[in-house]
Amino acid sequence: MSEGLDLNLGDIDGLEQVIDREALAEVCRSFFDLFGISIRVFSRTGALLSDVHEEQAVCRYVNTLSEGRRACGTTVTEVKHIGATDGVVVHPCFTGANYRVVPIEYHSRHVGRFVIGPYLPAERTEIPKTLLTVDPNIDADKAIAALGDMPRVREETALRIAHHLRNIVDLILFSSHRAHLTSEMHVASVRESYRELAEKNDALQSAYNRLKELDQLKSNFLATVSHELRTPLTSIIGYSEMLTSGIAGDLNEEQNEFVQTIHDKGDHLLSLIASLLDASKLEQGQLTLNRVPLDAGQLIRSVVTTIIPNAKKKGIAVESQVEEGVPTVIGDSIRIHQILQNLADNALKFTTKGGTIILGARATEMMDDDGGGFGAVLMAASKPAVEFRIEDTGMGIAQDQVERIFDAFYQVDGSSTREHGGAGLGLSIVKRLIEAHGGSIRIESSVGVGTTFFVTIPEAPDTFDL
Amino acid sequence: MQVDFTARELTVKLVYYGPALSGKTTNLQAVHELVSEDSKGRLMTLETRDDRTLFFDLLPLTFNSKSGLKVRVKLFTVPGQVIHSATRRLVLQGADGIAFIADSQRSETKANQVAFLDMQKNLRDNGLDPAKTPLVIQFNKRDLPDIRTDVELDALAKRGREPVYKAVAVRGTGVLETLIGLLERSWAQLETEHGLEEKFGLVPEEVLAEVRRQLGAVETEEGPQ
Ligand SMILES: Nc1nc2c(ncn2[C@@H]2O[C@H](COP(=O)(O)OP(=O)(O)OP(=O)(O)O)[C@@H](O)[C@H]2O)c(=O)[nH]1
Ligand SMILES: Nc1ncnc2c1ncn2[C@@H]1O[C@H](COP(=O)(O)OP(=O)(O)OP(=O)(O)O)[C@@H](O)[C@H]1O
Ligand SMILES: [Mg+2]
Ligand SMILES: [Mg+2]
Repeated sequence: MSEGLDLNLGDIDGLEQVIDREALAEVCRSFFDLFGISIRVFSRTGALLSDVHEEQAVCRYVNTLSEGRRACGTTVTEVKHIGATDGVVVHPCFTGANYRVVPIEYHSRHVGRFVIGPYLPAERTEIPKTLLTVDPNIDADKAIAALGDMPRVREETALRIAHHLRNIVDLILFSSHRAHLTSEMHVASVRESYRELAEKNDALQSAYNRLKELDQLKSNFLATVSHELRTPLTSIIGYSEMLTSGIAGDLNEEQNEFVQTIHDKGDHLLSLIASLLDASKLEQGQLTLNRVPLDAGQLIRSVVTTIIPNAKKKGIAVESQVEEGVPTVIGDSIRIHQILQNLADNALKFTTKGGTIILGARATEMMDDDGGGFGAVLMAASKPAVEFRIEDTGMGIAQDQVERIFDAFYQVDGSSTREHGGAGLGLSIVKRLIEAHGGSIRIESSVGVGTTFFVTIPEAPDTFDL
Repeated sequence: MQVDFTARELTVKLVYYGPALSGKTTNLQAVHELVSEDSKGRLMTLETRDDRTLFFDLLPLTFNSKSGLKVRVKLFTVPGQVIHSATRRLVLQGADGIAFIADSQRSETKANQVAFLDMQKNLRDNGLDPAKTPLVIQFNKRDLPDIRTDVELDALAKRGREPVYKAVAVRGTGVLETLIGLLERSWAQLETEHGLEEKFGLVPEEVLAEVRRQLGAVETEEGPQ
């Protein structure tokens, strides 16, 4: 059913709706030039759309007479009121001239009509009485002379001319209609495509919102669960500590070893839970930094100390390279330590026997803008910063993995992950902690050769008041 | 369907749907050539690129009825290329019946299916119920090699609910049969929905007989294949 159509495809109600007025005017003008006959085109509702005419001498003359003027007015009104459904009508004028009224149809609908005339049928040879008696004051000689100027056409020719004209108008109508539909379709198609895109966008947006909600739920869940796990775990660790310290009596060697294992695994589990808690806190932006001035060299040395025992066990050399004049960093001591520790742990984990790990620090500068933005050359100011460097000669990271290793729980695929354990949370925490300090992290890595992480922390954060 | 009481006319919209290059435009061209001068208007082709339809083709037909009501039938084609989905949906608005022009070539089977699903979706998006939309199916390009066989199509036709026509649109074969079949189906549906016989004195058999006469189709007892 066509009700509620946005676009009334393929139908027009009136000529005026689509017709190219200029083309129509031009056709009428050339028609007039060719035949010397006046022509008028009307819309279905009777509005004049085009009009090329010349007042005939006889018309001019009868209009100077009062009765003549009235008769002329009547004729014109009659012609105007010829209905669209009357077909082709030849309407006579009292002067002996004719008007030919031709309906214009399009797609078998009446859309308007054109009127040609007045013209004198060539078949007519005598001066009609109606002209000579139209007004008591008429001067027959003058009237007859004036009538002589009227264009003469044989009715049969008039018929053919009208037919021809109708074809031309039909053609103009057709091409105008086509242009009209084309532009309507252009607009409608664009609107429709736009609507479609908007709908897709909405669907994507709500899917995104849903995912965000789920993410939030997951974080909350992690936080709650980690918290609940920690309490009993602390007791387990506490009691196993008490057992090893002999409070509950002496343990034999084997018992001591077992309890020690319980204690160590408990500790490991606790640090894992701490990571989970960190991760979810960081995700929810709940982390508060306790900022103090820190010495970069000292940070490096303290991390080196913690990894040296394990490095020795694995047969890996550890070096520290702290340059002169490294500025003081303003940051959270525990968090910055956590960043470096995590990276150093990774270096150790993914490097095999005979390898080397270097921990370094040097002075550098960083832009307070992401760089490359609009007008960055003028706007960005550089500020002093410290660059920490954690370099290893381990297995390396493939280029296509570099982006992803910062995602929580992501671990580069393969047996190494299983071999090395871990939850895949380290780097995601590292990245967030660095961001919280207004810093940045960057990787240079080559598979089978080694990996270097560069961590840049600004000397003082933008909004820091000591 | 639209009824204009003052003009005493009734307008029916029929759409030729189908995959790209299946011969929808060719069908309209063939109808245009076959139909007698007084029933048809000009065939309007809106915008093409490399002979591919971009918006639609439109062929208006007019039939007289005994009741004095004029029956105007507007035949539209949609652009078959996948990307013109939005345009297809626009053209499909208010359709009273659909001729699905399928390509008989074996290689096009999948394309036919995709277009058919697309049609159902677009009908629904326009608030039309695919199950209630009068539909006929034409398998075109019967002249080509490596097409689905007659036996296969006949078996399929028996299983399906829609009449199936075979055509070679480039030669005009099967084109009028498809159109008449579509008009029969569509008219039956309009009669059920709007009671045209009671309201306007349009007796379905008479209207269709007149349509067949004006389309210059010889009346045969033979239905769709
Ligand atoms: N051999 C053969 N070719 C046909 C037949 N019908 C149409 N074709 C050809 O198929 C091609 C595409 O025909 P169109 O009618 O333009 O196809 P369409 O369905 O309108 O295509 P779109 O406008 O892109 O959707 C043309 O080259 C036609 O000549 C047929 O019955 N047999
Ligand atoms: N120095 C490195 N050399 C090679 N691969 C590395 C290095 N550092 C990290 N990766 C890769 O990135 C992954 C993610 O590191 P991340 O620190 O987030 O997790 P993890 O070390 O596996 O587990 P967790 O830190 O939670 O114990 C690692 O599993 C590893 O595949
Ligand atoms: Mg790690
Ligand atoms: Mg086409």
